[in-house]
Amino acid sequence: MKDEEIDDVLNKAARAPLQVKPELLERISASIQASLRPVRPLPPAWILTAGLILIGAVISVAGAARVGFAGFEKMDLVKRLLVFPVLIGLASFMANRFVREMIPGSRRRVSAGTLLWLGCAVLLALFTLLFHDYQVTHFVSIGVACLITGFLNAMPAGLLCWLLLRRGFAVNPVSAGLIAGALGGLAGLGVLELQCPNFEVAHLLVWHTGVVPLSSGAGALVGWLVRLFTRAVRGRSAK
Amino acid sequence: MHPESNLETLMVLYQQGDFTAAAALIDRISPQLHRFFAAQQGSRAHADDLLQDTWLRIHKVRHTYRAGEPALPWFYAIARHVRVDHYRKSMRATAGERELETMSRTMSRSVPANHQAPGSADDLEALLAPLSDSQREVIAMLKVAGMSLDEVARATSSSVGAVKQKAHRAYEKLRKSMSALRLRKGADRLP
Repeated sequence: MKDEEIDDVLNKAARAPLQVKPELLERISASIQASLRPVRPLPPAWILTAGLILIGAVISVAGAARVGFAGFEKMDLVKRLLVFPVLIGLASFMANRFVREMIPGSRRRVSAGTLLWLGCAVLLALFTLLFHDYQVTHFVSIGVACLITGFLNAMPAGLLCWLLLRRGFAVNPVSAGLIAGALGGLAGLGVLELQCPNFEVAHLLVWHTGVVPLSSGAGALVGWLVRLFTRAVRGRSAK
Repeated sequence: MHPESNLETLMVLYQQGDFTAAAALIDRISPQLHRFFAAQQGSRAHADDLLQDTWLRIHKVRHTYRAGEPALPWFYAIARHVRVDHYRKSMRATAGERELETMSRTMSRSVPANHQAPGSADDLEALLAPLSDSQREVIAMLKVAGMSLDEVARATSSSVGAVKQKAHRAYEKLRKSMSALRLRKGADRLP
């Protein structure tokens, strides 16, 4: 059987009259009419994306300002010109994707998970190419402190990003949470790059980059909990 | 004037609080959303519930539609969300019963032996029965709603490549089931 024949069968079946009970349509119309008011559409995507990037930048600078910019000062010009633009670029991708996650029917070229791993791969490649201190001193004790600092800055960034897009509607809250977490994680990583003068490669690859998947995981978990909660609330209101 | 307008214009008017536009959208979109649900769930009553829930959700989040963007994927993304939501809820609530129900539904929805020959079939639900949920969803959007691959990708939050792959696999399955049906029908005609 050829594709054209299958097409033909499906098209014939799809052309069959589509009928919905008129009383059901009337009921739907009546329920909509009862609460119909003009609504303010969401701002254009570029404004929302710019807002998200701004939130990340403000959190990064404010977070680092409390303890100083030792990392930034220790970096040479080449490193500064590569690390921060790459971070901003990745944040732009994530911000754009987060906006799409919050608007139903938006175009998505890759899955949220793929985007996260691509982002992490870019960061790992960047740190591997730019930094060449292969010593490992107090790997865990210093590293965990950095991871916690990054994560603590990622949380408010993720929360503010979500607040900015709270009027959106995530058809997949887990995926939206993952991207919001990644965006927050990039802000946390920005804090670490500005303030941490430890340029050991292992430290950067594990503890600095690790902030991004960690906060993404936390974001996805929050998204999953939100989905459970909203479903429970809807179930209760349906009863 | 409204019934003539395209969906995108009607959506913008709906956002502005125009009831005629909302009613025109309900009239135009509901039948295909209902068919979409019926093709997935196989029960008319369930499709009625899902349609009503979908419109409530659409009404609640109508501000998320952006002027200039295609409206159909926006509607279907919400409809799909409502369907998945219902499906997960019922999966959890009646995990045990569900298995039996699904088995019996699959058996009753498989193309019956005395079904009309391919080419004259008008029962989309029965035709799509051999497909998986995600394949059925893609075929229903492509054929019932007449959406493009890009629009289906938008509605299902996936890439055009993934949609193409699902449609290809769905056609493979349909080819097998329809060929089997033809063979069975041919054998029945033999004296």
